[in-house]
Amino acid sequence: MRGMIPRLVAVAIAGALIVATPVIAQSPRLTLPDVANPLVAEGEVGRYGGTYVTTSISDPRTFNAIVAQETSSTVPLSYSFDGLVETNRISTEIEGALAESWTVSKDGRTWRFKLRKGVTWHDGVPVTADDVVFTLDAAFTKGVQSSLPDVLTIAGKPIQYKKVDEFTVEFKTEQPFGPFLRTIGFSVLPKHKLEGALKQGASEFNRTWSVATPPREIIGQGPFVMQQYVPGQRIVFLRNTKYYRVDRKGQRLPYLARIVVVVVPNLDAARLKFEAKETDHYSARPREFAEFKQKEAAGNFTIFDGPPTFSTEFLVFNMNPRGISGPKLAWFQNAKFRQAVSHAVDRDAMVRQVYAGRATAQFSPVSPANKFFFNPTTRRYPYDPARAEALLREAGFSKGADGLLRDAAGNVVEFTMATNAGNTDREAIGNLVRQDLTKLGMRVTFAPEAFNTLVGKLTGTFNWEAIIIGLTGGLEPHTGQNVWRSTGSLHMWHPRQDSPATDWEAEIDRVFDQAAQMVDQNKRKQLYNRWQEIVAEQVPMIYFTTTLTQPAVRNTLGNIRLGFGGTTANIEELYYRTPYR
Amino acid sequence: MLRHIARRLLHLIPMLLGITLISFAIIQLSPGDFLAEARMNPVVSSETVDRMRVSFGLDQPLHIQYLRWFWNALRLDFGYSFAFQVPVIWLIGSRLMNSVLLNLVSFAVAWAIAIPLGIHAARRQYTLSDNVLSFSAYLGISTPTFFSGLFLLYLAFRTGWFPIGGMTSIDHDFLPWWGKILDVAHHMVLPVLVLGVLSVAGLMRQMRANLLEVLRQDYVRTARSKGLAERVVINKHVVRNAINPLITIFGFSLGGLLGGSAILENVMGWPGIGKLIVEATIQKDLYVVMASLVLGSVTLVAGNLIADVLLVVSDPRIRYD
Repeated sequence: MRGMIPRLVAVAIAGALIVATPVIAQSPRLTLPDVANPLVAEGEVGRYGGTYVTTSISDPRTFNAIVAQETSSTVPLSYSFDGLVETNRISTEIEGALAESWTVSKDGRTWRFKLRKGVTWHDGVPVTADDVVFTLDAAFTKGVQSSLPDVLTIAGKPIQYKKVDEFTVEFKTEQPFGPFLRTIGFSVLPKHKLEGALKQGASEFNRTWSVATPPREIIGQGPFVMQQYVPGQRIVFLRNTKYYRVDRKGQRLPYLARIVVVVVPNLDAARLKFEAKETDHYSARPREFAEFKQKEAAGNFTIFDGPPTFSTEFLVFNMNPRGISGPKLAWFQNAKFRQAVSHAVDRDAMVRQVYAGRATAQFSPVSPANKFFFNPTTRRYPYDPARAEALLREAGFSKGADGLLRDAAGNVVEFTMATNAGNTDREAIGNLVRQDLTKLGMRVTFAPEAFNTLVGKLTGTFNWEAIIIGLTGGLEPHTGQNVWRSTGSLHMWHPRQDSPATDWEAEIDRVFDQAAQMVDQNKRKQLYNRWQEIVAEQVPMIYFTTTLTQPAVRNTLGNIRLGFGGTTANIEELYYRTPYR
Repeated sequence: MLRHIARRLLHLIPMLLGITLISFAIIQLSPGDFLAEARMNPVVSSETVDRMRVSFGLDQPLHIQYLRWFWNALRLDFGYSFAFQVPVIWLIGSRLMNSVLLNLVSFAVAWAIAIPLGIHAARRQYTLSDNVLSFSAYLGISTPTFFSGLFLLYLAFRTGWFPIGGMTSIDHDFLPWWGKILDVAHHMVLPVLVLGVLSVAGLMRQMRANLLEVLRQDYVRTARSKGLAERVVINKHVVRNAINPLITIFGFSLGGLLGGSAILENVMGWPGIGKLIVEATIQKDLYVVMASLVLGSVTLVAGNLIADVLLVVSDPRIRYD
């Protein structure tokens, strides 16, 4: 798909002009009988047939692509549903999918998307602008359990959208909106199949296309057609013979005849199945990397030295006067205290002991995997107990003869640190952090709790002291606004403030406001750089490490390339090199 | 007899009321709710979470929520799962028969092995074979299912003789009817081994103890002294009298037909209701937990009732009226 970027941009800017230009004559334009302008995949030319078998550790929860939230639903649904645009796995640029081109008005507020003609739903009905409009109508219907409106509400106003003609949709935002293209890749749903359900109300719509719906009624436009779902066992997909993408020779994709997603109880079972050659793909855990590397030849697979994940692990202190009070609130609100803790945490020990070397120390809220927005020059906190003690002294703390740390008023520094029980990595991290902080003279009780209880405290009662937890992330920093704005409900250390409690929180609010309204990505990057600097300076969240991914894939599969989203996100291009099973 | 059965079934109603009320209160009053996952998702705003809360009815006062649920449950409407947005009945129904099948087969295997072994051990008390059986029984009782499950999975992985977990292979649907049966049977060997061994151990010890008890009775000595064949003494007189406690156990284990394999299902990936219930409990998917509690209570009561009826049939000395 890399080859597509120049062409798409050219089409978008120059419109019809490019068709008349003879420059592209050297590569003959590929067409399909039904799709005049198919999307040309950039991978190598493969061969047809074969079954790709992968695993999921949970059952899907819904087959409604805009209601789906967690990966056990969204990954299988991505085989059957495409959006207007998608993210290139290698360059992370936005490229057309159902949309073949788009234009943006001079004021940066009006976006016009031209749909690819001849694309059909799995039942043969054409995909039109009505479907795009319907999908958004559904998402914005009160009571429909979709998080799409959260992403598509800009400066408090939902985006406006309308059909211009059969194959053109127009979007209008209240203000110029920088991350617009990154938010518009939602799965498009078929109006002709779901209109009736939406008319009966939101709760009926939420329940239509549930896991109880016969899979053949789940009609998408993606590369594979859902064929069967056996609860607790597997989901089966068959090749979509009318897909709108072709390879470089003009042969219609996808190559694979069938995909089977096997539901397994846990990662250990997934691993055994992969090693027994029952499956073709396994996302190995950090500690398994070295072992899998040795088994590569015998197991006929390749384990990739994958990119870092987008998710984060961190320690956060409660700075919310509605939640705690007294000396503890004063310690936690003191930036020097938090900086000292950050210096006291031995991240290298964590990398070695918890992740077997498959992680790197992290100091910014942005994962280094996010190459465009990551700011590598923020303040860092290497392991330095002496520096930590100095910082604590500056903040008025002192270590007594009994080895305990006391604040200026003589209170012993002690607090309870929680995490969600059952997450073994976080429990191991918690134990290391407790040891590190004990060396400073703090008295830390480490008490893992049930996930639901923990979240109840974080977002509801605010009755907690310190918590080790993690968040998932994405390419676009704007999607983290619920965490970073002082009004956000996930602004964990002090959620839902009426007005920012500190100057630095006020500045972060301003950065997020400004960056959202900017279309120039480089200017946005400058603003988000500033945000990362503030966070690294104030350490409201003490980040630990970014773990690396290590996907393992059977060598029988072709077109496997490591990219954003792993090794097999280009599912339509995968093929069997060898005669298949 | 009929009056006894009717009375027992009537007792079920206050019992269910009590069980469901207490569990409902415990689930609802403990901190945290189903929406925790949505709350921790940076992309989901708190307004969206609030809307979800309303649409699940979780914003209503607790007693209203409970009464509404109980009233619907009386009419066999167990509500919708929060996580899956499908009727709880469908969710449980889609996995129920898998659990029943696994437990029934293990049950049958266990009884078919345990009863003869128990009789054998009792008749040859303190011989080598009795001691070997006793030793293996202790080993069987004291091995947790998750351990033996994992061990056998590893064995399957090393040898390649058995599939690694699951209930059917991915090509199951292309097989003829007998192939489908063989496929499921192949997948069932290991889980049945785990569950079967566990209950064989206990049942065998029970049978042995009962039989020893009866063997000491005067009428056994009488039967032997009047020259009856040993086979007749054992099968016709001793076993029939020794079986009563086992019938009670039988009824009790009927109650475990649904939930008895919950842990093993999670280890072996058997698509039964065990995994569903464990996940629902962790996530606080309220109505799934409630429905499974009702189901468990009803089967337990039904199992005990069946045992009572069987006791009357097998032992004419027992009467309920």
